[in-house]
Amino acid sequence: MSVAGYHGRVLEVDLGTGEIRVVPLQAEDVLLYLGGRGLGTKLLYDRMDPKADPLGPDNVIVIATSPLIGSQAPTAARGHMVYKSPLTGYIGTSNSGGAWAYGFKATGYDALVIRGRASHPVFIDISPEKVEICDARHLWGKNTHETTDILTADSIPGNPYRALVIGPAGENLVRYAAVANEKNRVYGRCGPGAVFGSKNLKAIRVRGKERITIADEARYRAGLDQALYLMKQAPITKRLLRELGTSGLILLINLINMLPHRNFQDVEHDEEKLERVSGEYIAHNYLEKAGSCYLCPIGCQRHTAVKGNGGAVRKGEGPEYETAVMTGPVCDIYDMDAIIRANYLANELGLDTISFGGTVACAMELFERGYLTPEQTGDLELRFGRSDLLEKLVELTAYRQGIGALLAEGAYRLAQSCGHPEIAMHVKKLEMPGYDPRASYAQALGYMTSPTGACHLRGGYAVSLAFFGGTREIPRFSLLQSPIAIRNMQNTGILQDSLGICRFTGFAFSIDPWARIVSGVTGQDFSTARLEEIANRIAALERLFNLEAGLNPEEEDLLPARFAEVPIMAEGKPRAITLENQLQMRRDYYRARGWNDDGRLGDEFLRHMKIDRRKA
Amino acid sequence: MAPRKWQTSEEVFRLFRSIGRASLLYDIQDSHSGNMAMRWRNEAGEEMVVITATGSQKGDLEPNHLCYLSTAETDFGYYKASSETDIHVRILSIPGVQASMHAHCKEVVMATLDDRPAPKTPPPFIPVDPLAFYQLGPEIPVDWFAVPSGSPEMAKTIPARLTEHTLTIIYGHGAMTRGRTLKEAFHNLCLANNAGYIVRLLERQTALKEVSRLEKPEVRVRIFEHQNEFVEKLRGEIKSAPERHFHFRPAPYNVDVDGCCDFPEEEEILKEFRKAGNRIFESRLSPFHTGSMSVRGVDYLLYAPQASMPYEVGGALLKLPLAPQPGDDRELELHKKIYAGSDFQTIMHCYVPEAEAHAHYVYPGENQPLSRIIPVDAEGSFMYLAIPVVGPEVSDDELIRLLHDYKMVVVRGGGVWAVGSQSLSEVLHHPSSLREICLYRIAAIERGLDLRSMEPEKARRW
Repeated sequence: MSVAGYHGRVLEVDLGTGEIRVVPLQAEDVLLYLGGRGLGTKLLYDRMDPKADPLGPDNVIVIATSPLIGSQAPTAARGHMVYKSPLTGYIGTSNSGGAWAYGFKATGYDALVIRGRASHPVFIDISPEKVEICDARHLWGKNTHETTDILTADSIPGNPYRALVIGPAGENLVRYAAVANEKNRVYGRCGPGAVFGSKNLKAIRVRGKERITIADEARYRAGLDQALYLMKQAPITKRLLRELGTSGLILLINLINMLPHRNFQDVEHDEEKLERVSGEYIAHNYLEKAGSCYLCPIGCQRHTAVKGNGGAVRKGEGPEYETAVMTGPVCDIYDMDAIIRANYLANELGLDTISFGGTVACAMELFERGYLTPEQTGDLELRFGRSDLLEKLVELTAYRQGIGALLAEGAYRLAQSCGHPEIAMHVKKLEMPGYDPRASYAQALGYMTSPTGACHLRGGYAVSLAFFGGTREIPRFSLLQSPIAIRNMQNTGILQDSLGICRFTGFAFSIDPWARIVSGVTGQDFSTARLEEIANRIAALERLFNLEAGLNPEEEDLLPARFAEVPIMAEGKPRAITLENQLQMRRDYYRARGWNDDGRLGDEFLRHMKIDRRKA
Repeated sequence: MAPRKWQTSEEVFRLFRSIGRASLLYDIQDSHSGNMAMRWRNEAGEEMVVITATGSQKGDLEPNHLCYLSTAETDFGYYKASSETDIHVRILSIPGVQASMHAHCKEVVMATLDDRPAPKTPPPFIPVDPLAFYQLGPEIPVDWFAVPSGSPEMAKTIPARLTEHTLTIIYGHGAMTRGRTLKEAFHNLCLANNAGYIVRLLERQTALKEVSRLEKPEVRVRIFEHQNEFVEKLRGEIKSAPERHFHFRPAPYNVDVDGCCDFPEEEEILKEFRKAGNRIFESRLSPFHTGSMSVRGVDYLLYAPQASMPYEVGGALLKLPLAPQPGDDRELELHKKIYAGSDFQTIMHCYVPEAEAHAHYVYPGENQPLSRIIPVDAEGSFMYLAIPVVGPEVSDDELIRLLHDYKMVVVRGGGVWAVGSQSLSEVLHHPSSLREICLYRIAAIERGLDLRSMEPEKARRW
């Protein structure tokens, strides 16, 4: 194929047989699925049986880039990884900033497909000149930072090595293990690290200088100018994220009664305590400098320093909003020192901090209710507020030691093993992030219908519409408006993931400038109408994967009972989302998507979407 | 007959006060000008006329500024009633008329000024926009009066005019209209003012030229070059074939849906509709109770067919099936078609007067009206780069395609259509920005600037 912005090549590596081959990227695939998440999903669906064991050799990992990676479009350096999740059993899709995806595309490939299982730990080494499967036994057991340092040690100035690595958590198949690049930028959700670990894949190293062509420079530039202008204009992208990081949202989210507390039992916080986990507090007490992903003008990274338990100053990155909330107030912890130390360690050992925090909070509630016993915890008094345990729990989890073996399974399996699955705050076994769904119906529906489970990024970041969406703000408690609003928000996210750009650009503008940029880069007609079609197609294909993997929409496109039964106070009224409300919104959402009322996909719809079912 | 007493009605008072305030917000009154009247049946079942008091501030009416008159005889209700009461009472006696209103609609007054010697016989005012053309008529009478306020001459002429016409213009003074409700009367006055504004904008879009008066060569005046030629030519063309110049005929004012709300339980969405509607009205993005906006549900849409609605007055809010229905008017039909062909969640249609006028602009040296409005202001040019302008013959498919790409489309003779993926606020921003964009461009033209050279080069690619 020859579409500008793409190299036209897919690299396929079979770790079981050692076969390495390059196959052409089909023009039809990029015109129908664009890149990143969309292209990755298409390549995945064509190459694996959704019923396969996610930790077995038949699981496939696809890492796909977008046509914008390699251009100068702001934030366009994000990679997307697609696989079957060992946490949910459904499609896993994870996204990360950093520069690895840019480095991978510079090797001359658009996507990487990995299958099989190596007989011993390996890493894949990719450059335009060669692709090798290399022995990684010397790296096994090392943390993400050490592994990165070793693999990038021989970098050449101007053409550095970039490494995508797992830590001990991935090696030990923790179901929510992450994959890291540049040490602290992670493909976090859904457990890609465990899939790497299950394949004995420790890392992927890339280096290259291959460039893309841009078809219509003037059109591309016009869109670029517009995007940059709007990003410099919007308060969140212009200022808040740089000065306070994502944690700058904590006090704002609390203002709208959406900040969860004690495993989502309520949203009530001691304001003084909350100040101590806020972005403002981090900026005043821990921040050394802000940092940026490649090509990002926002700069939300937090480069921080904190005193270690021994008193020595440690430096690292974080915490982001989710980490601060999930290992903080959700566990009734307001000790920023402890949160940061745990964050550093989680990054080093390779854990997703959202699922980790959600699982620990679940464990704390189980313990306090007497469902999790001291015998099971190894005599740890696993109560809410125990900030002193955080670091230790990270370590136990990553190495599956003691209570860590249970925590490594995620909240749902933990609570299930204790006989009380209702204590797990999850959808499709994915732990819920730090936004209480009772404070935004659209966010609730997003969690319910996200292809990956309770994820604010794949489910639609409705909180941005509820509070700081600017002109795009929508009513928070509208059963009527939420289904289409969240579908459109999910579609925006799908397109952002498929274009390799950051969610935070959405605080400044929607998809229109991107349509101009991607049309300029590729020379193709990626109008907003066409992008809309593409997003709907990708959503349908993800759904199809999940249905074929065994998804039961009736039971699994729902929130935990707590959100229907226990109200929180928001905007002066008690707010819960009754089962009836959930079912109404869910049915409307299915219809808005063109799906059947039972959440399944009809043949006519699939034909309309130009999707072929897998052949048995 | 019931015992005489000073009548009061909280409901009537609220209506008069809200229309009074709205008329000030729309700038069709001075502090004390104009008057409103309506037929009303009191608790005893007696037919009465309620009318504003003479000299009352219409923007801040108090209960005692409403006078309740017997329709059968002169009574003490006349004590402080408007000096134009006789005119109103006669208008209210026209069959089917329930309300009448007079306002100082400055724009249409300005658009009909002339310097012919008195006594004058002014030509009728011919609107060039679809709202006034279809709803007020292709020719709106203009009458000159020696005593242009409350005079017997007016009491004779104006009711006669209003038996034939919806609205009539009093030369140099204002307009008077009738309605089935007071809201409809106010709607008519807003349309007239808007129509005058559009004509004046069209005149302003041509270059100023200093000339000698034909009849008095010694007098030098500044006139708009081709003013009469352009506007009169356009008027002639519209009169001869309105369907070729207007996108569609706006639905007549509907009094049956007055105050209707089909989704009172959706408090948050209601609030959004009211906020957006109030802004459309106050920012004059569309005259009172014109335009439309909707939020799409899955099988239905929430629809405001009188989108321009000040807070206190409100407008109809309907919940309708998304599927086409036999009784759908053209405006509603288009909402449904746009939704059927897209994922948009919100739509707004406004008759932004600045855009209506500017859509007719012809660049110097060209002979066709512009096909795109290219912002020359900083924010507009970054937000939009270019806004397509299409002729009234545009197909629905083409309109939908353009909305996908541009989010906003100006239809010459058909208002502004805008779409949003999430909220009413999002979609409101488009016509609101467009109004500013057009004002800046028209100002540049008025100042004799070279508009083409001000337009960003990059915008020409879109």
